[in-house]
Amino acid sequence: MNKDIILKEVGKIIIPLVQLFGIYVIINGHLSPGGGFSGGTVLGTSLIIMHLIYGEDLVRSIYSRKKLLVGISSSLIFYTIIKGYSFLSYELELPHPPLGNFGSILSAGFILPLNIAVGIVVACVFYIIFSIFIKDEV
Amino acid sequence: MDIILTNYFETGAVILFGVGFATLMLHRNLIKKIIGMNIMDTAIFLFFIAKGYIKGKDAPIIINSFKGVDSYINPIPSALMLTGIVVAVTTTAFALALTIKLYNHYQTVDLEVILRMRGENND
Amino acid sequence: MINYIPIINILILILFSFVMMLIKKNNIVKFISLASNVFIFLLSILLVKKVLIEEVITLSIGNPSNLLGIEFYVGKSEALVGLVFTFVMVMILWYSKFNLEKEVEENRLSFFYILINILLASLLGVIYTNDLFNSYVFIEVSTLSACGIIILKDKKENIKATVKYLIMSTIGSGLVLMAIAYIYSITGHLNISNIHEIIINNYQFHRNAVLIILGLFTVGLGIKSAVFPLHSWLPDAHSSAPTPASAALSALVIKVYVFMLMKVLFRMFSYEIVNSFIIMDIILLLGSMGMIFGSIMAIMQKELKRMVAYSSVAQMGYIVFGIGLGTISGTAIAIYHIIGHAVTKSSLFLISGLFIKKTGSKKIEDLKGIGREMPFTLGLFTLGAFSMVGIPILPGFISKWYLSLTCIEVGRVPLILIILASSLLNLLYYFPIVINGYFGNENLEGKIYKSKKIPFVRLLPIFLLVLSMIVIGGMSYNLIGLFSI
Repeated sequence: MNKDIILKEVGKIIIPLVQLFGIYVIINGHLSPGGGFSGGTVLGTSLIIMHLIYGEDLVRSIYSRKKLLVGISSSLIFYTIIKGYSFLSYELELPHPPLGNFGSILSAGFILPLNIAVGIVVACVFYIIFSIFIKDEV
Repeated sequence: MDIILTNYFETGAVILFGVGFATLMLHRNLIKKIIGMNIMDTAIFLFFIAKGYIKGKDAPIIINSFKGVDSYINPIPSALMLTGIVVAVTTTAFALALTIKLYNHYQTVDLEVILRMRGENND
Repeated sequence: MINYIPIINILILILFSFVMMLIKKNNIVKFISLASNVFIFLLSILLVKKVLIEEVITLSIGNPSNLLGIEFYVGKSEALVGLVFTFVMVMILWYSKFNLEKEVEENRLSFFYILINILLASLLGVIYTNDLFNSYVFIEVSTLSACGIIILKDKKENIKATVKYLIMSTIGSGLVLMAIAYIYSITGHLNISNIHEIIINNYQFHRNAVLIILGLFTVGLGIKSAVFPLHSWLPDAHSSAPTPASAALSALVIKVYVFMLMKVLFRMFSYEIVNSFIIMDIILLLGSMGMIFGSIMAIMQKELKRMVAYSSVAQMGYIVFGIGLGTISGTAIAIYHIIGHAVTKSSLFLISGLFIKKTGSKKIEDLKGIGREMPFTLGLFTLGAFSMVGIPILPGFISKWYLSLTCIEVGRVPLILIILASSLLNLLYYFPIVINGYFGNENLEGKIYKSKKIPFVRLLPIFLLVLSMIVIGGMSYNLIGLFSI
């Protein structure tokens, strides 16, 4: 047990920073390179590192399998509804979201919520695939 | 000969495609076949993205002010290949999951041994 | 508003498949999937009615101009093919409501319905779209969901079949992506109509590049459609999948890729450009070899579903033969054969599933005397076999007849012999089942009349498919006049 103590102490500092970086990449998707998929990958990697250092029980207690599945389905339904709305809104002349100032974070209409939805889906899927592989129960 | 040397991106992409295809066909281990598939997909992404490069222009990110359309490279190939990369990652994950299932059934990842055992269990 | 039905169809199917991920009880999942598919079918009928009046609907998504948005182009052929696909899927889901529990475990049942919805959404996307990269995205989604429905049954042969299908499909998709990269670098557009306007004027300067593009598209889409030398994944995949899944795969999935090939060859490049290269002769040769070799391999099979799967390879040969003739009537017959074969092959696969369930064995020799035990079911199988062989009025005969007429029109009369030879070979493997089922004293002894009869309510989806096959055969003269690419 003592062999892991360096990993656990360093992990306590590094894992929150990794997650913060992932959230930064997702939110700045419309201003700089990155966006939903790459930010989601970083967030998923942070969950995988947490599983490897602290063992499965800690991750299960915070992010249970049921919460991850509900997160995936609700993000996907949200994505589909907003995409459908934006595809059909030209014909029916429905109101548009505000475009905001150029270069600030709350701008560019629908891109920010869609990026967040994609990021959540990708992070959850990466972690679920990893946990299935490592448990050998495909 | 000069055409091959001036378009070195495209030449490199085609050579990499050949390397990936040879790895896919000639190795017996399933994991090496999946690696070969990944190399092939990466070669195609390199080919397409290199088509968007214009010599002497910047990357298409607006840093302080917009310099006009003519001073950036073509951003469309990079945006399209993002979708392609996602598809390649998904296919790799699926193929690896199938490899784990095969290992559980046959205790080997060698494709010749698996195909030879085909006639024995037909349930 | 009716103009937007193509995109509404795709969005409804995908939305309901995500909703089904949250639901645990299997009965509600089956009800939602059947309800959403019936709704899509009714919307497709409205779309067909509007297209028959207006000739063509184009709608551009995201931006009114087609340079910045994605364009959907719905002509008469696309609307009718979409209608038939949604109809076949409703019938397959109705069949699977009663019969899927025997083949797939309880806790995986909802995955089948989720994947079938996504599969149908991506197939409709490939049919309706007019944009090259959008079609690539939908092709990839359909490949992954088709691999998913094969692996639901957890036996060893399924896993081997899925690995083969996945790797060969990825090679095919890679070649298609490389072809899209080439054509983007020559013309700078991704929309099929815009590329057509540019390449008509400029193709003489890029003859080598156009030849490579045609070759890459043919090989890439041909791997996924089981064109002759690259068909080796098909018998394993379609025979080991659960029965509704193999009906959906054989009737619907392999067809959309040749439909995309037709769009690329004849709408993006035109008939004159394509006929001036040697690629059409190669496609014709591959189609003819597929017709003959598919039937020869089917005669040698001992299991029922493998035989029907090899028959699919032969029928894809007909469609590729129709494309290879290179005229407007050849293309129209290829689209008619897509529709006719979809209803026929799905009914044959579903009846095979019933046979396997009731007799408990997969081999053909255990079907002797089944005519006395399940007379009405074998009768429906006989009607499907008649269509494959080429008895008049049914769609198989209409395809062969008009293909022969087109061969004479193009001036290559010896090809009619190939069509005749493949019809005779079809006879050799379908009729033994029918004859051994109904006649022959040593087959029939010991069998009790109607002992394994299936109630008519359960046979209703297959009966409706066979009825629509006869209707499609009867209306063939009006239908073929409507198809054009």
